[in-house]
Amino acid sequence: MGKLDGKVACITGGTRSIGRAMAEAFLAEGATVVVNGRDAAKGAVAIAEMGGGPNIAFYAGDSSKQSVVEGLIDFTIEKFGKLDICCLNSGGVNMTAPVAQMSDEEWNLEIDWNLNHVFWGMRRSLQHMIPRQSGRIIVTSSVEGKLGKPGIPGYVATKHAVNGLVKSAAHEVGTLGITVNAILPGIIETDIVRSTGPDSAVAMGLGTYENLIAAFSSEAATKKPNKVEEVAAVAVMMATDAARNITGCLFPVDGGTLPY
Amino acid sequence: MGSLDGKVACVTGGTRGIGLAIAKAFLDEGAKVVINGRDKAKAQRTLDELNAGANVHFIAGDVKKREDCEAVVDGTVAHFGRIDILVANAGGAANHAPVADLTDEAMEDALVWNFWHTFWVMRRAFKYMIPQQSGRVINVSSVDGKVGKPGISTYVSSKHAVNGLTKSAAHEVGTLGITVNAVCPGAIETDVMMAEGPGAAVAMGTTYEGLLEMFASESAIKRLNEVEDVSLIAVLLASDAGAGITGSLISIDGGTSPY
Repeated sequence: MGKLDGKVACITGGTRSIGRAMAEAFLAEGATVVVNGRDAAKGAVAIAEMGGGPNIAFYAGDSSKQSVVEGLIDFTIEKFGKLDICCLNSGGVNMTAPVAQMSDEEWNLEIDWNLNHVFWGMRRSLQHMIPRQSGRIIVTSSVEGKLGKPGIPGYVATKHAVNGLVKSAAHEVGTLGITVNAILPGIIETDIVRSTGPDSAVAMGLGTYENLIAAFSSEAATKKPNKVEEVAAVAVMMATDAARNITGCLFPVDGGTLPY
Repeated sequence: MGSLDGKVACVTGGTRGIGLAIAKAFLDEGAKVVINGRDKAKAQRTLDELNAGANVHFIAGDVKKREDCEAVVDGTVAHFGRIDILVANAGGAANHAPVADLTDEAMEDALVWNFWHTFWVMRRAFKYMIPQQSGRVINVSSVDGKVGKPGISTYVSSKHAVNGLTKSAAHEVGTLGITVNAVCPGAIETDVMMAEGPGAAVAMGTTYEGLLEMFASESAIKRLNEVEDVSLIAVLLASDAGAGITGSLISIDGGTSPY
């Protein structure tokens, strides 16, 4: 008996890192999962590695596009009959530049990926969940949704915005059997952090990727990065029926970094 | 296979309310659990209800006394051989009044019950957890550890203090395999709430029913929380998967707290 037997979940950016850990944890608890990613070939490999079978499917597309986010949700409902758990997980540091040098185009890329994607996914999910009076929306935010670092203003601003969206939506649907929560991880050495970290380090005046990881770690009580499995464990908890009264929560998984 | 197999936990005020729910959930996940309370007769009813045989053990003690707090922690180690998880759960406040009319005794009582008790059991537990380089401390705080309401400054102040202690201690032991977190529930109709709620309501200028309705109305779910909401999070924090979560003040309040 799994904690998520019979549940159907979809996850933006579910082929690697945090999303992948969520997908694996949901599958282990008995859920059916649709994961999304840009690259169909990588997606096929990912779902094969996760055991394949009838309980997992892949939906290709760039989650910074409205048609893809809505398409993922519609695909999940069409294929598996419903959507119980929507994890709006993809996102990252798209562009690094101080505000003074940030172009409109770069800013908008960040807004689409980290904020609009969450809004589009939440709206589409709620349109399905409200009539059913049941659902779980879990957004992968960040400690930067409460703090701020130089050189990554788009990331910081969009994660703050996502936290506000989560709280507002939680109050809108709080009596309808639907919870809306955010998880705020500290630094995790995901594929995305490894690929964008070196640029971020320069933009933040830290020089190297190693310095970036060390700087984030030093702010934590644990003095080390977090792990994707820690985020997945919280996501499972939030996705269960037992978590029906936990909503509007900005749940840190940050080794003690956040002041509040 | 439970997520707490082989772990030993100590829960202050574990014979009823939130503490009892946490004890039950820990037992279900395979832990051995010490529960504490003042009244042996009440405890026997709880032990009968838990029906967990040798996996649960009661230690009598008043958490408003330092020697009792330390004896509960020491007794856990004496009985089960170690302490992996400490839940500083007991707490409450009585003799509520607005600050202008508040007695020293009422404020001292709340500080001892909520804050000093938490400090005493945490300090004692660290003596075991630091050498073993592992442990989980879970402090049962409150939504009122983050916000404030009129008329209950005793409770609000002492829970804010618990949250500060939690964060400071988390940074002290963060690299030692020990996490320290607070859970911040919204209003729950526990025995303590039913006993002290009516007095608090008067100090807040309302009735007991009005008080419960006020708490519910501030949440997104428009109802009170339940003890199982808290035990759900306690299990997660106590498990190995909770290793990366420390210094956190986890809101379990149906969306009430602004942060």
